[in-house]
Amino acid sequence: MTVPVRIRAVGTASCEGDAGPGARSPFEARLSSPLAELARGGARVRLFCPPEEAAFLAAWDALAASGVSVPVDRDAVGLALGLDEGIDGIKARHSAAVSSEGPLGASPVWFPLTAPNTIAAQLSIALGLRGESHTVCGGTLSGAQAIGIAVQSIRERRHAGMLAGGATWVEAVLLDALARLGRPDGGPPRCAACLLVLVPGGGNDAGAPEVAGYGEAFGDGEIAAAAAAALDDAGLAPEGIGSILIAGAPDPGEAIERLRGAGLSVRAVVSPSARLHSASFPFAVAEAAGGAVVSPPGPVLVVGADCLGGAAAAVVTGGRR
Amino acid sequence: MRDGIVVTGMGVVSPANPDGDIGRFWSALCAGESAVGPIRSFDASAYPVRVAAEIDRGAFGGGPSGGDPVFGMARRAFRGALANARLGGGEEDPRRTGVVVGTVLGGILSGERYLKEDVAGKGRSGALARYPLRAIAASLARDAAARGPVLTVSTACASGTDAIGIACRRIASGAADRVVAGGVDVFCEFSFSGFCALKALSPDKVRPFSRNRAGLALGEGAAFLVLERETLACRRGADVMGRVAGYASRADGVHLTAPDREGRGLAAAVEAALRDGGCRPGEIDYVNAHGTGTPYNDWMETKALKTALGERARAVPISSIKGVLGHAFGAAGAMEAAVCLLSLRRGVIPPTANFEEPDPDCDLDYVPNRAREANVRTALSLSAGFGGQNAVLLLRRGGS
Repeated sequence: MTVPVRIRAVGTASCEGDAGPGARSPFEARLSSPLAELARGGARVRLFCPPEEAAFLAAWDALAASGVSVPVDRDAVGLALGLDEGIDGIKARHSAAVSSEGPLGASPVWFPLTAPNTIAAQLSIALGLRGESHTVCGGTLSGAQAIGIAVQSIRERRHAGMLAGGATWVEAVLLDALARLGRPDGGPPRCAACLLVLVPGGGNDAGAPEVAGYGEAFGDGEIAAAAAAALDDAGLAPEGIGSILIAGAPDPGEAIERLRGAGLSVRAVVSPSARLHSASFPFAVAEAAGGAVVSPPGPVLVVGADCLGGAAAAVVTGGRR
Repeated sequence: MRDGIVVTGMGVVSPANPDGDIGRFWSALCAGESAVGPIRSFDASAYPVRVAAEIDRGAFGGGPSGGDPVFGMARRAFRGALANARLGGGEEDPRRTGVVVGTVLGGILSGERYLKEDVAGKGRSGALARYPLRAIAASLARDAAARGPVLTVSTACASGTDAIGIACRRIASGAADRVVAGGVDVFCEFSFSGFCALKALSPDKVRPFSRNRAGLALGEGAAFLVLERETLACRRGADVMGRVAGYASRADGVHLTAPDREGRGLAAAVEAALRDGGCRPGEIDYVNAHGTGTPYNDWMETKALKTALGERARAVPISSIKGVLGHAFGAAGAMEAAVCLLSLRRGVIPPTANFEEPDPDCDLDYVPNRAREANVRTALSLSAGFGGQNAVLLLRRGGS
């Protein structure tokens, strides 16, 4: 029998506006309390950029809401983080500095931040997370695939809990690049992170929010296949879905049409978090679990697709209504 | 790992075998022929270190008007693995076939090209489209017409190992029957400059576990394994090279660049991989170490093996191939898994090249300088990366 994967808690952080080098951190006020608490415990935590700060705050709040005290200092909790476009600006600045200044342009402090797993590493260091640690770079599906990895880890009882989600930092350099690729974003610079604490279900928690199924597929237009895989994983027929939440897709209208063609005819809405790239899917799962999709009631199918091909879907049940 | 997951094909492209010839790859490793030499792909004269293990760019169309060599390396290794597995005839169910790629840099050369051209007012969207890390996995998946799970994993130097481990989990979950998994990374000034700033590079040779070790050398390449559900592999009469019996990942949670000094995270990953595979330390016949040749890594790894394997650590042969190939980042773990499979198959352990002076703090059997015949039935492949990433694969000979 499949182990249920409950959504114990959610943590989020987000801001809009340019938070580039030299700018004051948009999360400064919110960070002071947790960093002070960690300092009282002897931990020296230094966060270097907005997506790190956002991910830290999301993780901190999610763990606190779960009743998990930090630092965890054991391998009871693992981490799966989706991050792709969030460090493009950091990489561009490193590249430009080396290009113009040669060897002296490379900073031993900033260079490690060009690696996608650095944010996960910062969470591990700050919060004492010593379980498995995964960083997935799947564009708009980054957060989805991180959740998929975490769901499997929980089902296989590899950890007592998994912190899973995504982080993004959409800077001007990315907005400019998307426009040149013919995929203008249309939004302002922004930063966001959403992390879920997933735990094995059991005992008296029947009816609690749950990731009941997860599926993915690759190829253009494979959103229906991903949805079918998630439904199959959840043991649900299309008729069992109450509503659909589009987490992010190159063409949400086309995504809805394909889902209709696959027999999913219920109300479909585009998540307000759809423009949060790597963080969009976790935000949408949190919305579904929190009852954001109100009527009609029933399991919510969260779906997302990436512009380079690929789609993912999750069935979320038990959301508050 | 509950379901049987076997390896039915491998493809490797490295400085020792740019053409993907596995025999040449194995021969170079067993002979300890270092591929580390003067840097050719950019002007390194201003840097304190001027060596790396590179692949001739011309072999992958990486000249001034050519494409991004990382795609060429990945494609050659990927197709080599499929050919080795005798797949690609269209008989496979594409919805049950996946691809998992481990990479740290992805299309970084394309990204740099875009930025340089952009400064000159000529930014090309073609270069930009090849830059995202996931562009490689997407390209390979289209090449193989794979429509199952396609993921890109980036866990620093553990990326290739984690890619294989996650691929195995995808098969075990029932999401796929077959996944081609591995890693790729390219040598470039972007990463070279960073490692110079961290003072982590050797000025000449890489000497893993040797007392006079002075750092690592950056390398490049690609390696992929074809992983299949054992029942399907047997049904189609595939040649089984080995099985992935266990996998684990653990985080140090200590420092962004330096490993835990006691090797606790790596030891925990080894222990978890052994539990995953139902294996006792006494059963391990070979350990392929991360063995970068840096003072701290090799010392840490020795401690980790003593912690995790107990008395067995003193008897088991341990070797690192980074003295020959340098450190290929996201490809390293996948190359090293391939080396373990070749050891299982051929009954030979490749040496740790350039071992010059014993170090009292690294006092295990590192198979110094000469390959060794051995009956290898079970092997461990270890990877450790920036950010305290630790990943371990447990590999066994043949099928069940």
